[in-house]
Amino acid sequence: MTSSKGSTTGWIADIFEPVIPADGVRQGQGGEVYLPIGSTDFARTVTQLASHQFTLIGLVGIEGFGQGPGTSLLYIFEKLEHILILIADGDGTLPSIAKVFPSASWFERECRDGFGVEFKDAFDTRRLFLHETYPDNFHPLKKSFANAPITPKKDVTPADEYPFRKVSGDGVYQVPVGPVHAGIIEPGHFRFSVIGETIFNLEVRMFYKHRGIEKLAEGKETGQCLAVAEAVSGDESVANTTAFCMAAEQIAGVTVPERAWYIRTILLEMERITSHLGDQGGMLVDVGFPLGANQFSVLREDMMRQNAVFTGSRFLRGMIRIGGVVRDMPNEDLEFLASFLSMFRKRYQVGLKIVLSTTSVIDRFATTGVISRSLIQPLALSGPVARASGSTGDTRIQHPYGLYDRYRPAVRTLHDGDVLARFTVKAAEIVASLDLIEQLIKEMPAGPVVTDVAVRNGHSLALVESARGQNLCWLQVRNGRIERYKVRTASFCNWQAIGHAVLENILPDFPVINKSMNLSYAGTDL
Amino acid sequence: MSLDFIIYLIINTAFILLIAPLFAGLIRKVKAWTQGRQGPPVLQQYYNLAKLFRKEIIYSPHASWIMRATPLVNMAAIMVAALFVPLVFVPEPVGGIGNIILFLYLLALARFFMALAGLDAGSSFGGMGSSREMSIAAIIEPTTIIVFAALAIVFKSFNIFVMFASSAATGALTTPTIILIGISLFIILIVETSRIPVDNPETHLELTMIHEGMILEQTGRNLALMELSAAVKLTLLMALMINLIIPAGLAVTLTAAGIFIAAILFILKGSLLAVIIGLFESSMAKKRFFQLPSLFAMAFFFSTLIIIIEVFA
Repeated sequence: MTSSKGSTTGWIADIFEPVIPADGVRQGQGGEVYLPIGSTDFARTVTQLASHQFTLIGLVGIEGFGQGPGTSLLYIFEKLEHILILIADGDGTLPSIAKVFPSASWFERECRDGFGVEFKDAFDTRRLFLHETYPDNFHPLKKSFANAPITPKKDVTPADEYPFRKVSGDGVYQVPVGPVHAGIIEPGHFRFSVIGETIFNLEVRMFYKHRGIEKLAEGKETGQCLAVAEAVSGDESVANTTAFCMAAEQIAGVTVPERAWYIRTILLEMERITSHLGDQGGMLVDVGFPLGANQFSVLREDMMRQNAVFTGSRFLRGMIRIGGVVRDMPNEDLEFLASFLSMFRKRYQVGLKIVLSTTSVIDRFATTGVISRSLIQPLALSGPVARASGSTGDTRIQHPYGLYDRYRPAVRTLHDGDVLARFTVKAAEIVASLDLIEQLIKEMPAGPVVTDVAVRNGHSLALVESARGQNLCWLQVRNGRIERYKVRTASFCNWQAIGHAVLENILPDFPVINKSMNLSYAGTDL
Repeated sequence: MSLDFIIYLIINTAFILLIAPLFAGLIRKVKAWTQGRQGPPVLQQYYNLAKLFRKEIIYSPHASWIMRATPLVNMAAIMVAALFVPLVFVPEPVGGIGNIILFLYLLALARFFMALAGLDAGSSFGGMGSSREMSIAAIIEPTTIIVFAALAIVFKSFNIFVMFASSAATGALTTPTIILIGISLFIILIVETSRIPVDNPETHLELTMIHEGMILEQTGRNLALMELSAAVKLTLLMALMINLIIPAGLAVTLTAAGIFIAAILFILKGSLLAVIIGLFESSMAKKRFFQLPSLFAMAFFFSTLIIIIEVFA
């Protein structure tokens, strides 16, 4: 984000003038640019942004952000290193922009559930995270609703049931799968429409584990909220906590000590390695090749044990705090980590060689579950899923945070968009992360690992690249307490690609396509 | 029916029921070892069966008499088929017992009822398993017929007893056809017993299941019968391969010592074959469903080759 400072208004003017007066532009603490927009100019502005290939990466609803007590909507757009946030009033006069930016569909439905904001001409007005048993006119993110248990509806009439898309015809079958699955995974419902084995429609219904995380954070002091940020998604704990801390630090205007960023970056990359290993093992289990799968699951278990040795947590929890990290990593520990990783690298290469030289595995991976490049911008896809389909996007490169402007990770882009491409991209990212960690350990400076952070009011946006892709964190502090905490994980957007990826594939290939995309249920359903 | 034959019926049935779970357990153990795991004990299959036989049966409210009858029909069909394949002692054939075509269709009868039961409970996974099983059955059946035809031409008989007796007399086939028959029978064994690369017996993913999908709704004693019949079927097909290709020690006269030695040798040979199956399964991923015919085509090709060699050479 630092790179956009200095010439803030230049690129904004290029986009809008002479069509829309871009006055009222101001720059946020994280380098993002805010532009309040009236409902008359809104549609034109959005069209203009679409024609400039912006991506809608988030929509944050906040009460009392503007002049009145009403709900403001913050549309967050991204193009390369630029972040533009349109501020509009959610008073029901705004049109739905899902036809221009398809990623808006879930965002708008989320805001509609949370705040009761209506969007004109929306083509999908079904509830999103509030299932049928939630009471009518219940909007939990409104300030008028106090966080307390609610009484769910007892009787759900067939008319209230969630309407799935109806598909009919000769030999068409609907196969409902979930929300309870075999094995230890999270809940989600998949409604397949198939002819024989071939899938021609898949509708995903998520949000079976809504925890009210955003509401839970409200009213807490920022320091109390770290455990909440860690709980967003188990294997993205470091990424989400780092994003939360970055936003809090930007609001407070503090600079985190150098050594703390080295430790944070090591943890971020270790988290990426652990997560990718789990996927790679899972993908091999799903094509029935446990011999190969175990190469990776054994490594993942070893990695998690190392995580526990270094941080006391297999999921690297409890290390990141606002202003730095909770405790220093002694140099002996770091040397041990370096020697562990060099062993790890050799074992990983052996495992990778076994898998990539097994033709039956390649045969199952190649051409399976293709995600077209043309979906990346409309659905705001990110992470290995996007990079396997031709995207060069990586938050660490486009919006470098911490040390990533100096330590640029090698980004691998492939173009096939299939399961094999995603597997290969993840393998390359594991190696890149190993390189990065080894370099960081070598060059780590001495010094303090935490700095004092005074509480200040304000708001900020932070973007990080988790193992799954771009995670977005919006934080607003008022009177020393959290007014609004909004997280949008990569999975929230990437989930919407799976309905496209499975088309014309056969049902038995669904598990491996799903695993290759590594979508978090918890990260989607806050 | 001679006394020898009655003793054969008793010995063969008792022996196959006794050893069938062993090989399934051994395959699982070998697969675990290749993955660097300990795996469940080799005798785990016995413990599972003992446990399941004691458990109650639960039927889906949608299930009809088919669900109730299938485990029994299935077990009965497989046990009759088991009479057709002498494991340790080959008596003189009596009537149609031992006819290889009848043997094939006894297995088909069991499979037919299993597929019906998969549909019967009304779960979507059962239906998918049944539909896949019947697709595979339709494709593998002509191949199996050709393989059996090749056997019939090589041994000049349709009767498994006669085939075993003649291979036991000659010790082992010494022609290259032994390799070809071995490959064809091995592929049929893999397909019929739902193993990788056709099906994955150890998967938890319902969407990918074939055999396991069909028996998902089975419980308690019924599940035990389905599991046991699957183990017996595996042992039968293994025995077909073993006694045709490495028949050494197979008893053709009824003596206690001969049968004892044959039984020991059979367990050893079976264990060796189980290890090979386990290694084979570990060496590859499951095939994509619609590419399975390429595997069957291999068995078809080799058997056709045998027929050509035997008829024209």
